[in-house]
Amino acid sequence: MSFLMDHLPILLIAIPLAMAPAMTIFKGQPGLQKVMDIGVNFVLLALAFLLLKTVWDGGIIVYEVGEFGKYGIVLVADLLSSMMVGLNCLLGFLGLIYSYDYIEGKSLNLTYHALFNLMIAGINGIFLTGDIFNLFVFFEIMLLSSGALIVANETSTVTKISDKMEATLKYLVLNMLGSTVMLIAVASLYASIGSLNMADIAMKIRLLSEAGAVPWHLYAIGLLFIIVFGNKAAIFPLHYWLPDVHPTAPSPISAMLSGVIIKIGAYGILRILFVIFAPMKAVFAPIIVVLALITIGLGSVSAIAQTDVKRLLAYSSVSQIGYVLLGFGLGTVTTVAAGIVYLVNHALAKGMLFLTSGGIIHHAETRDMRKMGGMINSSPLMAAAFLVGTMSIGGVPPMGGFISKFVLFDSGLQAGAYIPIGIALIFAIFTLFYMFRGWIYIFWGERDPQYGEYSHHKLSMMMVGPIMVLAVLVLVCGIYADPILRMAETIAQQIIDPQPYIDAVLNRDIRDLTSIAEYLAGE
Amino acid sequence: MNNALLALTISLLFGIGTFLILRRDMMKVIIGFGILSHATNLYIVASGVFSGNKVPILGEGQGHELEEGIIFNDNLAQGISGLAPQITGVTDNAQFVDPLVQALVLTAIVIGLATTAFILTLAYRAYEEYGTTDVRELRRLWG
Repeated sequence: MSFLMDHLPILLIAIPLAMAPAMTIFKGQPGLQKVMDIGVNFVLLALAFLLLKTVWDGGIIVYEVGEFGKYGIVLVADLLSSMMVGLNCLLGFLGLIYSYDYIEGKSLNLTYHALFNLMIAGINGIFLTGDIFNLFVFFEIMLLSSGALIVANETSTVTKISDKMEATLKYLVLNMLGSTVMLIAVASLYASIGSLNMADIAMKIRLLSEAGAVPWHLYAIGLLFIIVFGNKAAIFPLHYWLPDVHPTAPSPISAMLSGVIIKIGAYGILRILFVIFAPMKAVFAPIIVVLALITIGLGSVSAIAQTDVKRLLAYSSVSQIGYVLLGFGLGTVTTVAAGIVYLVNHALAKGMLFLTSGGIIHHAETRDMRKMGGMINSSPLMAAAFLVGTMSIGGVPPMGGFISKFVLFDSGLQAGAYIPIGIALIFAIFTLFYMFRGWIYIFWGERDPQYGEYSHHKLSMMMVGPIMVLAVLVLVCGIYADPILRMAETIAQQIIDPQPYIDAVLNRDIRDLTSIAEYLAGE
Repeated sequence: MNNALLALTISLLFGIGTFLILRRDMMKVIIGFGILSHATNLYIVASGVFSGNKVPILGEGQGHELEEGIIFNDNLAQGISGLAPQITGVTDNAQFVDPLVQALVLTAIVIGLATTAFILTLAYRAYEEYGTTDVRELRRLWG
């Protein structure tokens, strides 16, 4: 047990990383493969929640990989990282159960399990690392594995293979460009500051700004980082890959992409621009606010014109991540906390919506919403789940989305940002419109008789189960929102004042934790 | 003179890479990515050269027992220009380069290898599906 507690951060990365070759070794026994993957991912989910509880009770955990201590690579699990890891492992576990019926058998057996575990390992690594070049490496792991997962074969033949090739090409090209820019930014930051450790860079930038001598190229590096994380988060003008990639990916991968991977961009903006470039955030915050507002507008207006259900959800993701970044950009503790609550609620709701859309597509054999209608008679569970998700994205109580929109608008008005919140409110009306219109198109009314009957293919429990779990979670986040609000407020305080993070990483002796007590006692 | 030539080469490679990425043929785009990654790696390596006798080697009493907790004992408020970490105290005339950037470049090269392999396979599959390598044909998903 103490082995577990000592090595918890590295286990969250090492276990899925070790499962990837294990899945390839066992590809001769698909049954064993499936059971092993479900079991290990459930253990991973338990470990993620254990990490969250440990960090919530005990403070920031710093784990030194190797024997170089803080001079080497450190894994830092503060509350923001632990929460994101928990979200990732939850959506990963539920998406994996869902994939068993959604992904075609041979592809599932040969490549899907290994790639899925690699993707989860990469995303966990992004959230847990405390070293900026290690961040780049985990970005690449996640990019390659998620890119390869988009072309996984599905059991339904609605999405054409040529569409998948085109979408993956666009995803890869734009993200490779983002990786090149990130490499330039990381290398420039190292050349200017001299360290790769995030806490050390934060400390040095703070000292530089106190001495009044911040070199001009640090602002350029900050802008490069906005480009990099904006590419991942799909904000304007870097969002063009998202509406092509999210619909053509298989539904569980869409849920992971929309639920977790675009949140990596938001996490990066928090970590780099608020913790590392903390003295200079007054320069970057207006840029983020303007970009976020344009993103909200663009996503909402584009979503109104959509007839494809998954493309509607993809444009909705573009606009909702704009809300999250609006919360981050406005800069006070309450708005950052509101952005984090919005992030959590959107991840759960959009993940569930994409999984539900997979079930809808299986049932209707088409993705076009105009050819659907009256599905509430033949699949009431899908209708209920889609309604829960729609209400959450639209901001209707009692779902979680209402809490997050309310907290965002309230804290924004308290911070005095009347015009941004006004614009966001107008587009929230658009959000409500297109989400409910989508639900009505699919589930109410009658299907046009020329399209025939719906298929009588019953959706299996493996597809319905994760959807129900996520729907219950969205409902719980709306009704009993207090834990998430408190957690978000603590996270926002740790972000706005990053001194505890810096202290936890830097004020430690190599390999000897008892000396911290003497050091603190001798101060 | 050397530094100016190096800077010129890196900027020229960036320019060529950017030009190629905007071409019409998929293969030219991928070659453009290769050249862009060459330019980036050269940029990283070029930032590892020190000037003078300031090198990142810790001498006596320059370690981690500090009151502010920063990793290297460089006083940033004085002499901020130039590359870091810079610790004076090594007085012989040896020429040092920064070994850390070489580790970064190795990692970046290997990652570039894997990504190029993947995107080449994907480009071939896309050619099989679309019948052409013209990137302007990749517009079936518009809407």
